[in-house]
Amino acid sequence: MDNLIACHGCDLLVDVGNLEDDSRAYCPRCGHFLTRYQRDGMSRVLAYAIAAIVLLLVASSFPFLSFKQAGLESVMTLYGAPGSLARYGMPALGLIVATFIIIVPSLILLLMVMISVPLLIGRRVPWMHAATRAVFALQNWSMAEVFIIGVLVSLVKIMSLATVILGISFWAYSAFSICFILALVSLDRYQCWQLIDQLEAQA
Amino acid sequence: MSTGAVTAADSDLASCHTCCKLSPASLHRCPRCGATLHLRITDSVQRTVALLITATILYIPANVYPIMVTEYLGVPEASTIMGGVVVLVKLGSIPVAAVIFIASVVVPLAKIAAMFYLTWSVARRKLEGPRRRTKLYVVAEFVGKWSMIDVFVVAILVALVQLQGLLAFYPGIAAYSFAGVVLVTMVAAENFDSRLMWDQLEEKNDSSRT
Ligand SMILES: [Zn+2]
Ligand SMILES: [Zn+2]
Repeated sequence: MDNLIACHGCDLLVDVGNLEDDSRAYCPRCGHFLTRYQRDGMSRVLAYAIAAIVLLLVASSFPFLSFKQAGLESVMTLYGAPGSLARYGMPALGLIVATFIIIVPSLILLLMVMISVPLLIGRRVPWMHAATRAVFALQNWSMAEVFIIGVLVSLVKIMSLATVILGISFWAYSAFSICFILALVSLDRYQCWQLIDQLEAQA
Repeated sequence: MSTGAVTAADSDLASCHTCCKLSPASLHRCPRCGATLHLRITDSVQRTVALLITATILYIPANVYPIMVTEYLGVPEASTIMGGVVVLVKLGSIPVAAVIFIASVVVPLAKIAAMFYLTWSVARRKLEGPRRRTKLYVVAEFVGKWSMIDVFVVAILVALVQLQGLLAFYPGIAAYSFAGVVLVTMVAAENFDSRLMWDQLEEKNDSSRT
């Protein structure tokens, strides 16, 4: 029974026990994605997560965009975007934006490290179940890649008004969002819990 | 089993939504991860419809009120979502105007319409095309968050362009309602249970055999 998965789209029971390395399983009845097996899946999660954390730290430390006109210059940082909404009377909206572009991605990355390191070194840790539940509850609520498109649209909107310079943070955040997505797609719900079961069975 | 398909529910098994483990449907909590177990999402149709109605209502102020105020040489000018699209067309940025129009108008409306259609099809026990309807649900769930582009654009412009007396941007009240539309439709999609469509198909097949 451990090799069976119930399709999330239609509830069909599907055997996913003998998947080849780097293959995906789809439901034969409704076509829904079921799981993806990668032998080195957890190492990938950790590698991409660490890269994403470093890039996010870089993105937090430098100017994101700067804007020059008639001798005046204004600079925006990554935190400036949600911060400005709070400053001009919309603190709740600022918090929502900060949640989607910074807080949720940071939490997910932290949880990924907390999950993948113990699984890779084969050590039981008390937070394993709670952290894994949390990471899968949060995974649909990150909007890093949507924010990048938002930046590009903003650039076009003000290009004609003045000179806009893309800062180091912009490039770092773009690279971060790519690593972040790669980490997310490497973390498979079914396979992750299988690994947790195996770790706990050993003890 | 007339269709030849064995589902978890047929075998009296509930699939845990957080860890995928199959457990006897009589249990209330998943023995592996501790999450609450349900055979199907409770009151899925009612909850989804209630959230969709909320999103539809929020969509009205999101389009009527300004999403951003542009202050040029001390003169404020408010613009709505559609107003922003028109300005971009006039500037000649047709591709970007298209991106904003699709993300802010087409995606939310299509998502709300698709989710209304899906809940209606379950409530009225429409049996045709369950595979097509499941695909529609997956697509609707995926595209939802892209509607946030316009809210992010407002946040970025307000943060970046504050040249007092010359040029400044301020957020408009519609940004709240629009973010609300996106959030509420995302929660609505999470509350919809596409397995209900397949359950109805099986019930129909079973009853036609007996
Ligand atoms: Zn299926
Ligand atoms: Zn579970």
